Amino acid sequence: MLKKLLKYDLQYIFKFIIIFYSLALFFGILTRIFLNIENSFVLNIIGQVCSGALISMIFSIIINNLMRLWVRFRTNFYGDESYLTHTLPIDKKTLYLSKIITAIVTLFVSIIVIFLTFFIAYGSNDFINMIKDMLLPIADAYNSTIIIILLAFFFILFLEFANILQCGFTGIILGHKKNNGKIGYSVLFGFITYIISQLFVIAIVLILALFNKDILNLIITNQMINISATKILIYMSIIMYTLVLIIGMIVNIKLFKKGINVD
Amino acid sequence: MNFEFDNNIPIYIQIVEQLKKFIISGTLVPGERLPSVRDLALQTKVNPNTMQKALAELEELKLIHTERTNGKFVTTNKKLIDKYKKEYAKELSNAYFSNMESMGFNKNETIEYLKNLGGEN
Amino acid sequence: MELLECKKLNKSFGNKKILKNINLKISKGKVIGLLGKNGTGKSTLIKLINDLLTPTSGKVLIKGKEVGIDSKKIISYLPERTYLDKSMTVDKVIEFFEVFYDDFDSKKARKLLKDLDLDTTQKLSKMSKGMQEKVQLVLVMSRKAELYILDEPLGGVDPATRDYILETILNNFAENASVIISTHLISDVERILDEVIFIDKGEIVLQSNSDELRTKENGSIDEIFRRMFKC
Repeated sequence: MLKKLLKYDLQYIFKFIIIFYSLALFFGILTRIFLNIENSFVLNIIGQVCSGALISMIFSIIINNLMRLWVRFRTNFYGDESYLTHTLPIDKKTLYLSKIITAIVTLFVSIIVIFLTFFIAYGSNDFINMIKDMLLPIADAYNSTIIIILLAFFFILFLEFANILQCGFTGIILGHKKNNGKIGYSVLFGFITYIISQLFVIAIVLILALFNKDILNLIITNQMINISATKILIYMSIIMYTLVLIIGMIVNIKLFKKGINVD
Repeated sequence: MNFEFDNNIPIYIQIVEQLKKFIISGTLVPGERLPSVRDLALQTKVNPNTMQKALAELEELKLIHTERTNGKFVTTNKKLIDKYKKEYAKELSNAYFSNMESMGFNKNETIEYLKNLGGEN
Repeated sequence: MELLECKKLNKSFGNKKILKNINLKISKGKVIGLLGKNGTGKSTLIKLINDLLTPTSGKVLIKGKEVGIDSKKIISYLPERTYLDKSMTVDKVIEFFEVFYDDFDSKKARKLLKDLDLDTTQKLSKMSKGMQEKVQLVLVMSRKAELYILDEPLGGVDPATRDYILETILNNFAENASVIISTHLISDVERILDEVIFIDKGEIVLQSNSDELRTKENGSIDEIFRRMFKC
């Protein structure tokens, strides 16, 4: 059943967001073409405009992706369509899993598309070298490669978005428990959940600090760059965000399984 | 076959009465195979359960019978049909006489009236 | 084992008691009218049976089991609102039902929709509300379910459409299945009811075979209902 649900959920999100993907790609390509033509002031201006459009498309992708996921969660589970969703012969856990997997897949694809269009627009040799120059010292210091640094950055970004998204789900579930249909409560509870998840991460950092002097120093002194501490933190944050994501998921499924009361 | 229903009287009783009339009048021919319960229910726009009950009642009256695999058939027993026909005629006549009586006609006057009516036409 | 049983079922919203101590048994092969004025708890009871509300106390059992996947497999439910994804075409919705309900007969659905002269490549959002409701009815009646629950199927439609709806229900419910029809338009449906349940102020006032009730109280169900709940 999960597969069947996923088909419909993914279709619903991608059908819409693919427009923004194409637009981002389109402006990415234009940006590259126009910015690479030398000695033409006018074309360069057009290039700058396309570059601006590309940036706004990148934001649109993320915002629309998140909003569409939330809206579908709400209409499917608590709106008119809930009458269909909750009377399908499918258990609540599977219903929820389909939504969260759809979220993870679409966000993942979106971030890849963003990286890709960004690279298409600005990915010249100079640019790559610039990034290399920028990241090499860091990579050297961390005793790792540029690719791994980039990947870590990518994953943190992705996990952060996934976390924001799931906090939104929690907000919607709790909001409806508290007061049927009012969005205000959903937004408030979503925000609170997000704060709690962040506090949870900070709490773990503080606990780590008790055992690791470098991290402790990072917190109590103003020392910005402590290689070993930040290195641990980067990897830890990936693990912690994953943990937060899983805990959030378990909590949400528990809440959801208690049953719903639709208007 | 056309059915009209009055919501005040149990529906199955009305169906029994109407089917009885159809058999007496020959709209349903002796030995004729009846449509299935479901089809009859569809035709008359009643619930199949109600139709089932009505047919069971008719079977009780021996006006129809079930052949195990073939379905339900109108009885070929002419005597029985005649009997119900007479009963029905009696019922109608009695009702008529009592109606006339309430208007002040006694039985003989009513018969006289009917005869004259026949002459007029 | 009863097809549907409610045991000491209560439902409150805050301090407001909507359903009070509902005890109910429904067996298979019956057409049942759930009759009551507006706002007396009919929809609440139906939503409890369909897992759209959780009981404050008490139980809903379907074939002896609590509401869940198994009950949803055998209950075909028509809510009193439009509940399909309106961005879908009718074809897509048929496919959706086929995918999720093993007992859905898409051939039957297509035939019934054809009788309505409906273009199935049309999006639901492009259709009138009345047409959307007919599509929903067709989908619900095209399942070979054991229990059909129809919440106010006749509400707000013209008499001709009422006939269409009643006919569609009668012609299509699976053999040996039960049908629960909730309505306040009693005279329109009473002809097809085996059993009636009167519900008032959140309580079941009466459950009876409809012909027995007619004989006993000497009148139509509609009349008896009016007599009982005179304002």
